[in-house]
Amino acid sequence: MSKKLTDGLTYDYLSAESAPTREDRIETCFAYGGSGHNLKEGIGNGCAKHNRRKFAQSGGCQLNLALGILSSFQNMAIILHGSLGCGSSHLSRSGLKKAAGASRNKKGSMDTVWIETNLDETDVISGGIEKLREAILYAETEYRPDAIIIASGCVPGIIGDDIDALSNELENQVSAKIVPVHCAGFKSKYVATGYDSAYHGLLKKLVDPRNRIHTTITDEIADANEKYLNSKTVNIFNVGSNSYGDEVELARLLKALDLNPRVLPLYANIDEISRISEAALNVSICATHDDYLLGHLKERFGTEYIIDTLPIGIKNTNRWLREIAKFFKLENEVEKLIALENAQLEEALEPFKEVLQGKTLFVGGGETRAFTTGEFFQSLGMKIVGVKSHNFDIFAVPMVDDVDKDDFVVSVAPGQPAEELNLLNRLRPDLYIGHSGANVWVAKLGIPTAPLFGQAFNFMGYSGAFELARKAVKSLQNTSLSKKLATNVALPLRQEWYESNPFDNIKDLEDVKQV
Amino acid sequence: MSTFIDRAKCTCALGGALTTLLALPKAVPIVHSSGGCAGTLSNTYNLSAGYRGAGYCGGTMTPTSNIVERDIVFGGEERLEEQIINTLKIIDGDLYFVITGCQVEIIGDDAVGITRRFKDQKPAVLAASTPGFSGNSFVGYDVVLTTLVNEFIDQKSEKAPKTVNLLGIVPGQDVFFRGNIREITRLLSLVGIKANTFFGDGESIDKIKDYGDASLSIVFSENYGVTTAKAFEETHQIPYITADLPIGPTRTAAFLRKIGEQLVVEKEIIEAVIASESQYFFSYFERILDAYVDLDFQRYAIINADTAYAFSLTSFLADDLGWVPHLVVINDDIDDLKKKEYEHKFSQLGSEAKPKVVFELHAGQLIKHIRKSWPNNQNNKYYHSLSPAYLIGSSLEKDTAQKIGASFLSVAFPVTNRVVLDKGYTGFKGGLTLAEDLISELVSNR
Repeated sequence: MSKKLTDGLTYDYLSAESAPTREDRIETCFAYGGSGHNLKEGIGNGCAKHNRRKFAQSGGCQLNLALGILSSFQNMAIILHGSLGCGSSHLSRSGLKKAAGASRNKKGSMDTVWIETNLDETDVISGGIEKLREAILYAETEYRPDAIIIASGCVPGIIGDDIDALSNELENQVSAKIVPVHCAGFKSKYVATGYDSAYHGLLKKLVDPRNRIHTTITDEIADANEKYLNSKTVNIFNVGSNSYGDEVELARLLKALDLNPRVLPLYANIDEISRISEAALNVSICATHDDYLLGHLKERFGTEYIIDTLPIGIKNTNRWLREIAKFFKLENEVEKLIALENAQLEEALEPFKEVLQGKTLFVGGGETRAFTTGEFFQSLGMKIVGVKSHNFDIFAVPMVDDVDKDDFVVSVAPGQPAEELNLLNRLRPDLYIGHSGANVWVAKLGIPTAPLFGQAFNFMGYSGAFELARKAVKSLQNTSLSKKLATNVALPLRQEWYESNPFDNIKDLEDVKQV
Repeated sequence: MSTFIDRAKCTCALGGALTTLLALPKAVPIVHSSGGCAGTLSNTYNLSAGYRGAGYCGGTMTPTSNIVERDIVFGGEERLEEQIINTLKIIDGDLYFVITGCQVEIIGDDAVGITRRFKDQKPAVLAASTPGFSGNSFVGYDVVLTTLVNEFIDQKSEKAPKTVNLLGIVPGQDVFFRGNIREITRLLSLVGIKANTFFGDGESIDKIKDYGDASLSIVFSENYGVTTAKAFEETHQIPYITADLPIGPTRTAAFLRKIGEQLVVEKEIIEAVIASESQYFFSYFERILDAYVDLDFQRYAIINADTAYAFSLTSFLADDLGWVPHLVVINDDIDDLKKKEYEHKFSQLGSEAKPKVVFELHAGQLIKHIRKSWPNNQNNKYYHSLSPAYLIGSSLEKDTAQKIGASFLSVAFPVTNRVVLDKGYTGFKGGLTLAEDLISELVSNR
């Protein structure tokens, strides 16, 4: 059997109230600057030990990443157990979920119901459990949701509110399932822990395959049909950053192999989640998001999984498809599909290659997406001058080689635009492709930008490759906005900072360089 | 004791402090908290206040001490000091301001004490405790401004008789804060009054330092900004009055008369300004009258807003636009006496019909209040329905508007379905802008 990225990892944590942090579970680095080669060698040799900065800027919080998953479920109420600000991202998402659900044909998709326990000074001293109880009962009587999800923040995490005991107590008093999710922000510097926290709750309380109903008159044909369908069912695990267009494209490719793709868990309802294990294969599209979920499903239900690459660009989409096809012994079929798709796509990409050839690019964002997107544009003839990855762990190690051909700089930093702008000011790439929240600073620096992902863009699969190339070309067709911004809108960084080495900001980086 | 809230339309004290600092010219917040607080809260206002953006040093740029579990155990003061030193080195600001999150306050970090070590620093470094559990965003707004009033703004024994401080318009929570401030400032200048605005056009940290010369503070709320006004009164001997946000002709005329009386401006000057602004208003408002009366643009109005907007907005609809004010639902968390006082304002409305005013903490309950306010259709052949209706609220109410078949405009926070640049709804001009936005909705299906 071939070596898996997850070899050596185990996933039996459900007896604990919360998922272990990524720091504890997987060696992970979020402070590095230098060459890709050194970084790759560093993982496994203590690179991840340091991870501290002299000057830090605000990144994410695991609670918000957990909410990104949990708030997407259909007909579930979210209770934010914490002070008022923790759930405020729901305000900025107002209107989004309804649209996202409707585009996926989810019946009666509504905007999220979220309730804040609004912990105050008194609660900090005497505990917030009673307020949480009231909030749960209110959610049950007002909305009759299928599940009530408790996302628990920093205050209850520090004062020690026992949300699990309360959930157990109320479980038989309300018809909704109660799902405690421990996601206090201070617990982990590595925000991807939030995915594990969310899936920990989901696996514990919502994944619950019901027994088949015994019928007096057996229907062997129906049973055989269902068995047959399940034997060809592939779960594609979606993530908050992929679009509906991405889901359509990836499903199209699997259908072409006569497989039965099912996209979940985001935007799923309670039935779909409870029966998540009824598939022949679970496939990840981003290792950063779901190894905790897929690994656990394998241990509990024996469902095989593939965690390999992010299907962005031609090479990685081919690779993603081949891995799946290999499992179903469809090697010949997949080669035919790939040959056809690649030929059509290559031809369509020709005019874009002419524009992009020789242009320089810097990509910033989550590890797997940043590296695979870089690889794709490299294949179109662009020169990758740098990659800024929010984190770096074992899942991205094989991806570094794909971009390693050129002399490029790797910065590992969750956000940290000061370090990134310092680098970009030196490198001055023709184009920057970055994570939401980062592009605006780069545009103010005078560098044209394109978004790394977005709900309106299909960037995965073959159609996604075409769209990505189209997007980059469009950005370069008019770069006057960023030029105007550079002369008219100030950035807050001092000149002395731009002249200093950005990586001096990382504590103990010398040790890493010696590795 | 506070209660849980079904969809709160505000953030916490830290969020309020942050949105306030990000609206001050070239101010740099330093957030002593876990890594995600600043980014999350800033992002909420970035996206939900009509796409206001991260500003000069918000969003992912916000300096933060990034407290983790280790610091919770051993204390985060050293990390904060290191963060302040390096922020001063790297970030160019005219004012640095340390604000704190829940975690560090529970463990007892003395952020204000640490910041005192930088008291001789130029530009100034200030600090205040703003943990989320200490209150909502309006509390955070007052904490930041009170700190400026008490520790930063210079004492002036000589007051300028025609200079005022504007308070109570909370950046972000008022999605149109800059446009609103701009028009109020212009109106005041027409009657010879200079306004100190903190957040308006042309302000700077240097100018804010001189706000001690004002002779009056005007607070556009009975609830928010009053603490700051009291600090101005105690520290700088500047008295204050409260006023309703002047939206449209009726409220703006009332506002100008009130200010004229307070600051002893000749009546003739005030009346001349009201007359000329009114003439301006109707010269443009006249344009939509033909369509208004032929197509009947009069609507039953349902207003869901905070106390900063609810009355003024209702007054504009009832007194200037001629709509039927039906129901006003207010989500603020204020005490019963304040509720009574606020409700009393609605008796001033010039419309024959007066609205039902409801205080409801839970945004999710709006639909129930609407249903309660109007008899159900019992399968009657002739049913007098709540139609044509118009719901004016925040983006959260769009769903409800669809359910009851009402037209919809988002004015109160959060506003995620439209973009706001220099637009404002205050003054006679703001009334025109609001009428434009409301009635554009009615013809937008063409």
